[in-house]
Amino acid sequence: MSGLKQKGIAIYRWLDSRLGLAGPVIEAAEHPIPKSSASWWYVFGSAATVILMMQIVTGVLLALVYTPTARDAWNSLNFLNHGLTLGWFLRALHGWGSDFMVAIVLIHMTQVFMFGAYKFPRELTWILGVFLLLMTFGMAFTGQVLRFDQDAYWGIGIGASIMARVPFVGSKLVHLLLGGPIIGATTVSRFFALHVFVIPGILLAFVGLHVWMVLRLGINEWPMPGRLVRRSTYIQEYEAEIHKDGVPFVPDAGWTDAMFAAAIILAIMACAALFGPIGPTGPPDPTIIQTVPKPDVPFLWIYALLALLPPKLETPILLIVPVVVICVMLALPFFAGEGEKHWSRRPIAVLMVLVIAVSLGTLTVVSLNPPWSPEMTAWSADPVQPRFLRGRTPLERQGAIVFQEKQCRNCHALAGLGGKRGPDLASVATRLTEDELVRQVLQGGGNMPAYGSALSPAQTTALVAFLGTLNGNERPARDPSLELTHSNAAQKQQKF
Amino acid sequence: MKTPAKILAAVLLSASVGCNHLPGKPGLRPETQRPDQTHDFATLYKTNCSACHGDNGKNGPALPLNNPVYLAWAGHDAIQGIVSNGVPHRLMPAFGPGAGGLLTAEQVEDIVNGMMKNWGKKDVLNGQNVPAYNPGSAGDPTQGQAVFQRNCASCHGADGKGVAGGPPHVTGSIVDPSYLALISSRGLRDIIVAGIPEQKMPDWRGDASGKPMTDREVTDVVAWLVSQRTPHPGTMVTPADKRKNQAAIAPVQSRGGR
Repeated sequence: MSGLKQKGIAIYRWLDSRLGLAGPVIEAAEHPIPKSSASWWYVFGSAATVILMMQIVTGVLLALVYTPTARDAWNSLNFLNHGLTLGWFLRALHGWGSDFMVAIVLIHMTQVFMFGAYKFPRELTWILGVFLLLMTFGMAFTGQVLRFDQDAYWGIGIGASIMARVPFVGSKLVHLLLGGPIIGATTVSRFFALHVFVIPGILLAFVGLHVWMVLRLGINEWPMPGRLVRRSTYIQEYEAEIHKDGVPFVPDAGWTDAMFAAAIILAIMACAALFGPIGPTGPPDPTIIQTVPKPDVPFLWIYALLALLPPKLETPILLIVPVVVICVMLALPFFAGEGEKHWSRRPIAVLMVLVIAVSLGTLTVVSLNPPWSPEMTAWSADPVQPRFLRGRTPLERQGAIVFQEKQCRNCHALAGLGGKRGPDLASVATRLTEDELVRQVLQGGGNMPAYGSALSPAQTTALVAFLGTLNGNERPARDPSLELTHSNAAQKQQKF
Repeated sequence: MKTPAKILAAVLLSASVGCNHLPGKPGLRPETQRPDQTHDFATLYKTNCSACHGDNGKNGPALPLNNPVYLAWAGHDAIQGIVSNGVPHRLMPAFGPGAGGLLTAEQVEDIVNGMMKNWGKKDVLNGQNVPAYNPGSAGDPTQGQAVFQRNCASCHGADGKGVAGGPPHVTGSIVDPSYLALISSRGLRDIIVAGIPEQKMPDWRGDASGKPMTDREVTDVVAWLVSQRTPHPGTMVTPADKRKNQAAIAPVQSRGGR
């Protein structure tokens, strides 16, 4: 045993005398950090790096099987899912790893912002971080495209049509992105090159610089209210603190990073095992119209935003807001590079984080069950619940069929079942009288199209008869003036 | 082996066995196929038919399909024709490829076969004197009215306008002009012969007089009902009225008024 140990040490010495890496690595690991920074709040950056490593390993393994062509990509994903031992788990790890990566990077950025860590002298670290965030989103988007299914196909369509709105060079940008004017054979190859070579290459270089600067400039100290950052004095103050109260990164702080990273990897594995791989949904064939494409979780908020924006604002918002936001983020350390770091003294910063988080969260939650698009299969797939048919006359039952056949159900749910575009009609008769129902159906209004030309008078009569029964246990809406004239109308009706 | 090594071995062993049973593991085939590759009857029925014909072929507003008498009486070919081509000018849409539907011919076949297999009973009409599926003649409305009085009036009322008092009495008219405009003669014949079991509407055998209806009687009742259709159901405004109104407002419109 001791012979083996001797040999091992000899090999290590032989290598190190040539490489000379052991000294700097150990020095980096033991570099002193403020004692206050050995905290569970400082673990997100390293966790993101560990997820990146996992993504690289799983990505390389996926690339062994994945075929980056428009014709075979979908089949190779299904081969991974169904034909290869644990191929599904590999896809699941990479997919969930991507979602966790975006989440952790966003949390990391929020923490850095709230702790004022972007201030002097760490401006460039922040700027690189902004680019790393953009590249993380770039990886998530290109990865979603490589999962070449219906969501991916229509997702690129949206991406391309956003790019096409750029003035003057729009169509050239679309050509560059798609490898032609339309999504074709070269599109998947382009995204493969971006996802596997271009973005990861830059990403790794930037991560290297980012970590290098963290080591060189030191980890941000725990912010204290009233302790101001000044360019003239900060470095001396930081070094004095390290000298007085510093601890080595390993082992004093490193263990929290290691524990958290391990917990995150375990969480990714658990999600992969429990929820399985993400997609692929149906084959990427534009002739299949029975599809409701949706982007992956990191882009759901954009999906909701685009759906809810007034059409006139789309182009300005799509083209101007991202540029402004990115510029503001890049410029942040220059106009707020000094002063307070503690969140209790930075109310605008706290408010900004809250507003952004609540906005993105709300848009994401709304997009999970989007009320803006009709449910195109509801008319043939969502049964009229039997309780709405009990004791109904033959005419009212025909009205229920009209309700389905004319696809009212695609926008109007009955007791929660059906489209969410228009109001649920389970109790419509408590809100509208018979005449109002007829008018609404025939003339539309309030965001509803007019159906006058799509319905015969008999169909309208039956439909309104059915809708008139939908009053739950409440009293139906009534128009007292109608009761006075009703006898005349009934007499006239009998003439025909 | 030391204890930690034993635990590790146990974990690895159970993990290697458990991997085949993880909840995230996909099934044997792609979960999402091309829509035209779906051949499972339950899925096809659910997504295409259940909205009107009800979950499991019952309790929907349209004709119940989970009715062995109807399935045996109409037969595979007639049902296939209706699913493929719909009922022209009525509410049953066409699902077949030739008539603008989104299903393939094979899928229509899968639906019809699935209904026959799951809900049909082959010999349910054996030895029964069942009326023909297609009427042999136009029928006589006067005769039909008499048959209606005998066989149907106890639940539908003498004039077909319904009877109060709950099942088996039918509230609501079956001679309402709008109702008669929406339902085809074919549909009326289907209901009279095959019945609507869940609504206590008997088939052609379960009439009040205790004697099954004959083919002729069914045809006559349908003829009587159909004879009560009106030219302009569901509206108080006839096309002549419309023309008159338009003529009246035309001079105003030509002056740019509203």
